[in-house]
Amino acid sequence: MKIVKIKEDNCIFCHLCEVACVVEHSQSKDIIKAFKREERPIARCTVEFNYPISLSVMCRHCDDAPCMEACQNGSMHRDERGYVVVNEETCVGCWMCIMACPYGVIKRDTRREVWGLSTKCDACPERDIPACVDACPNEALIYEEL
Amino acid sequence: MKIVIVGNSTAAVNAVEAIRERDKISSITVVSDESYRAYSHPLLPNLVIGEVSRSEERFYYRKANFYESHKVKTVLGRKVVKLYPEEKVVELDNGDKLEYDKLLLACGGTPIKPPIEGLELEGVHTLTNIKAADKLRKDLKNIKQCVVVGAGLIGSKIAEKLAKKGVKVTLVELTKRVLFPVLDDTGADYIHKELKRLGVTLVLNDAVSALSGDKRVKQVILKSGKKIETDGVIVAVGVAPNAGLAKDAGLTVDRGVVVNDFMQTSNDNVFAAGDVAQAYDMVSGVKRPIPILPLAARQGRIAALNMLGMDVKYKGGFAMNSISIGKVSFISMGIVDSDELEVLSIKRGDEYRKFLIDPDNRLKGMILVNNVEKAGMFNWMIQNRFDVSWIKDTFLNSDFGWKYFNKAFRVLRLDRKIK
Repeated sequence: MKIVKIKEDNCIFCHLCEVACVVEHSQSKDIIKAFKREERPIARCTVEFNYPISLSVMCRHCDDAPCMEACQNGSMHRDERGYVVVNEETCVGCWMCIMACPYGVIKRDTRREVWGLSTKCDACPERDIPACVDACPNEALIYEEL
Repeated sequence: MKIVIVGNSTAAVNAVEAIRERDKISSITVVSDESYRAYSHPLLPNLVIGEVSRSEERFYYRKANFYESHKVKTVLGRKVVKLYPEEKVVELDNGDKLEYDKLLLACGGTPIKPPIEGLELEGVHTLTNIKAADKLRKDLKNIKQCVVVGAGLIGSKIAEKLAKKGVKVTLVELTKRVLFPVLDDTGADYIHKELKRLGVTLVLNDAVSALSGDKRVKQVILKSGKKIETDGVIVAVGVAPNAGLAKDAGLTVDRGVVVNDFMQTSNDNVFAAGDVAQAYDMVSGVKRPIPILPLAARQGRIAALNMLGMDVKYKGGFAMNSISIGKVSFISMGIVDSDELEVLSIKRGDEYRKFLIDPDNRLKGMILVNNVEKAGMFNWMIQNRFDVSWIKDTFLNSDFGWKYFNKAFRVLRLDRKIK
């Protein structure tokens, strides 16, 4: 299975992966609308910076995903492609996946009225190559077999 | 092979999944005294106040077709009353007998009944299964003021939910703080403030000695002598493993059903997992029941693999909890309060971070309040007895993350070269 591989030596801290991720997960998939008009999705990747280090981190799609094991109602599941994804319809935002994730790459979306929503990389189901990889200008993110 | 599973919740479902990933032929029979498909126990407080209903998919642990798609025979609404380990047979409450080659006890726990007079009165509730939740939900119209006994997970959560519904709630807790085993004083203070903000009256360092009333509960009498008028009581002082079945059958039982590293009981063909089991706690170094969902899932899975003869070891678990009360969310795990361990902690407004490290520089526990998103990284460190000597200085940074790790290690981990 291909995952997004992180080549931190190439990272230039430009955050374009985050921008692309936000756009890809927005309603319109239009950059202006996504950032200015619609409710802005949370980026699934995070660029970390600690001079001289910078890198973008996102879900590693574990084989024995602890987040799935910790999920209280099966919302965190493996899709047909083999990637670990959240069922937004059923997620209750208990953050037990966050408690379990060994990579610390699940984020909290607390904007829904009753239920929180765990937000994480879904490896862009509608694309051949994930948006972050496509957007990276310096091959700091590449989409490759593990 | 004939596999029988007693229980139909987290451990049982994960066992079924693990079996079916490898074995499509063996028969699996799930027996449960509850007549519904597996559901999410943490959502019971939400069910009580109607935030979630039983017709919603999010209430359930797996999809409706789970049993069919995993070729599981279900015997629901039936209780297993006796286990004959020599004959390899379990007997149900209707006299039926089921033969097994391997048996999994995943029958969970029952609410502990504290020594309180008057528990049989109307308006006195518990909250550990659908039946109890339904009873409470139907009784809510009679409850304007409610006393919750025990400020553990269920107690604190239902107190919060009822208060939001406008019920006048008094939360009575024996110890000096809420969520005693999973928070320290500073951490609990956030929850105290939040509960008070929601209108919950906290009574700490006190216990209920008696409930009084004619038919329905009217008054709660505390050890301190204080009396509280009420029209509902929820008893939530914890759950005890349902170990009776195993005990009567002569299996080794302490507080829970004692299992070895392979989730096997003292009988080779009987395994136990989840809230009923007493398995190894890798932080405290002893076997004890840790009734939490993620461990039930893992134990169910490992028990199943060993039932198939795969020899998979359970590394041990430790307590961990993720709880939100009002606007405060926290995640804690392992040992959260200690005078012997090295303690790193910082409180910055809404955020609180605390780490407990042993003399060998192994992380033994932690608390994160509000800024919780990296909690799992610490979980990994505890599980893998990771040497934190070179990175612990960064634990108190709000932006703790991968950037603080040694590069070679970080690259290997993120490339999934080290598990």
